[in-house]
Amino acid sequence: MTHNILVLCAAGMLVSAFLMVGQRALITTIRLYGAQSWALGVVAITMGLADGRPHLYITAALTIGLKGIFIPWFLVRVVDRVGIHREIEPFLNVPASLLTCLALTVVGYRVSAGFPVGTQLVAHHVIGVSLSMLLIGLFLMVTRKKAITQILALLTVENAIFLIALGITSGMPLVVELGFSFDIILAVLVLGIMVFRIVDRFESMDVSRLSKLKG
Amino acid sequence: MNLLVLTLVVPLVTAALGALGGSRRSRDAVLLAGLGLTFGLSVALAATLLGGTTPTAFGDALRVDALSALVVVLCGFVSLLSGIYAVGYLRRNDARGLVTPRMRREFYGLIPAYVFALLFVAVSNNIGLMWVAVELTTLASVFLVGFHNRDTSIEAAWKFLMLGSLGLGFALLGTILIYASGEGRLDETMAGLNWTHLMKAAPQFHPFTLRLGVVFALIGYGTKAGLAPMHTWKPDAYREAPSPAGVLMAVGMLNSAMYCLVRIHLISRAAIGPDFSSGLLLALGLLSVMVAVPFILLQWNLKRLLAYSSIEHAGIIAIGVGLGTPAGAFGAMLHMTYHSFAKPLAFFSAGTVAQLHRSSDLEVIGSGVLGRTPVSGSLLMLAAVMVTGSPPFGLFFSEMTILQAGFFGSHATEAALLLGALVVLFCGFSYQIGKLVLGPQVADPLRPVDQESVDLSMVANLAAASAAVVSAFYLPAPLLALIKAAAVVVAGGVK
Repeated sequence: MTHNILVLCAAGMLVSAFLMVGQRALITTIRLYGAQSWALGVVAITMGLADGRPHLYITAALTIGLKGIFIPWFLVRVVDRVGIHREIEPFLNVPASLLTCLALTVVGYRVSAGFPVGTQLVAHHVIGVSLSMLLIGLFLMVTRKKAITQILALLTVENAIFLIALGITSGMPLVVELGFSFDIILAVLVLGIMVFRIVDRFESMDVSRLSKLKG
Repeated sequence: MNLLVLTLVVPLVTAALGALGGSRRSRDAVLLAGLGLTFGLSVALAATLLGGTTPTAFGDALRVDALSALVVVLCGFVSLLSGIYAVGYLRRNDARGLVTPRMRREFYGLIPAYVFALLFVAVSNNIGLMWVAVELTTLASVFLVGFHNRDTSIEAAWKFLMLGSLGLGFALLGTILIYASGEGRLDETMAGLNWTHLMKAAPQFHPFTLRLGVVFALIGYGTKAGLAPMHTWKPDAYREAPSPAGVLMAVGMLNSAMYCLVRIHLISRAAIGPDFSSGLLLALGLLSVMVAVPFILLQWNLKRLLAYSSIEHAGIIAIGVGLGTPAGAFGAMLHMTYHSFAKPLAFFSAGTVAQLHRSSDLEVIGSGVLGRTPVSGSLLMLAAVMVTGSPPFGLFFSEMTILQAGFFGSHATEAALLLGALVVLFCGFSYQIGKLVLGPQVADPLRPVDQESVDLSMVANLAAASAAVVSAFYLPAPLLALIKAAAVVVAGGVK
């Protein structure tokens, strides 16, 4: 039962990452990120229940509260205020992007075999999924042009890292985890302010226009 | 209150007071008093350590060993100089009507906040907290990079933030993997991430997980140190940040990021032997020195020139650490110290020249700076002599120490490559600055040039110059003892 839920949630996170790659509407991409964070929260709760580690509940609450509710709400507000709702043509078109991400997933799974817990079924899936998501997040970051999509790519990488942490350490020490969450919230707020300044200045949030500085 | 905690609290309070408001005079006074007190406390902290007691707080989560103490003292010193310069800098911009209330709030709030974050990194014994602190440095400095709110400063700030966040994502992953490589042998409380605890448990770490973690952590913190190939934010950020913030990035951030790299390197060394992380550091360091060569030879902007020089010096320190021998470690720590003395001079003089000429582009400034702004011009020339590592100044000795450590150790090839690059960099940097300062006077500068005046920024500039010159001939005995003790830590002598 536990195993099924874990594998299901991990798979859900991977699927949401793929959908983000194929998606052009910004609001939907933000919602997908929110759903991904909820799945991460469920992974934490399930692990907490299975291993009897109550501090994972706090991790789960933080994840769902901050990344599942607050950050998506904040980013939707940013998009609404800015009034730009669609991603423009990325540097690489969608079918090619999806194929690349498929290859990245294979790489992620391959690397996950090297971990000591990698041979056990569930951990293997969790680590494989998280490494794949990490690579997909990086890929999104370099191929997309809108500032919001780049932020979401960064947050996907962050989610992948937290999933790895759950998969191989069964949770970091609590105080440190609080520190991580605090910093991520601050970072998202700072990123949001930066988006406003970019739009203010360039009347667009197309970051490929930020290309004056060279040499 | 604990001396260590107090050292962190003072800049934080200064930041809060600065952001709050008040008249210009009172804000200046708070900034200078706060940073002066911070420097005093950091010296006291180092003195405590040299006296034989190791300052700790929060159950060893914060702990000052010799390496921390050296970074803290250098950071305190540079912060004070930068604060003095900042007051003069902002006044001149104020007189031109360039300063909005928002800018004032950001300036007085964020500079001490940045200092706080930098000190926080250097006293973190817990590698989780260390990550949190480095992230705080990024967040505190991003609005300083975007300070002038021009197109280019927004661009620089965005790139700085994205690359910095990505680097820190990697560093976080590295931290988690290093913790995971303990396979449950580590404490599950906060103490489990304490560096001192990790060092004891290191020999039993799972090698594959640890290696992956070390690679990610070195790349992540290497991004913050500005090691190639993750250096690309540096030229943009240095060009756009106001000079007082620029010097904090070039010295404070570089030293603090080096601190993180050394901590990770030492864990790896204790776990799987010196070869793995040493090799990585040597490769990153050499690449940084090499990358700087073409960009310095063909540079069009004064502050970007300083950025590439900073990439070069980050590379040299990384090479010194990567050599792994006591001599290499001593060279690296000596280099860090002398660099911290020379770089403020370079930044302040270049900053004043750029401010008086209303641009930092070499073409707009035009050659013959010495005739228009004699004091800053000659100090800039002196700075160029120092940062290129010419005798008799300090960086010459530290570079020689590192080269010797390389040639007489088992890394002759790396040392030869470094030597070659250093020679070209010396020529390139001297040529660029020499042309700018000593070249023929341009008849009609592109923009109106202001006269130099005796103010606090010039005081800071002269103070930086005297510190840099004096340190070449006379290092105070306690500072030398601190450098030696730090080198012992870096060479893996202290568990």
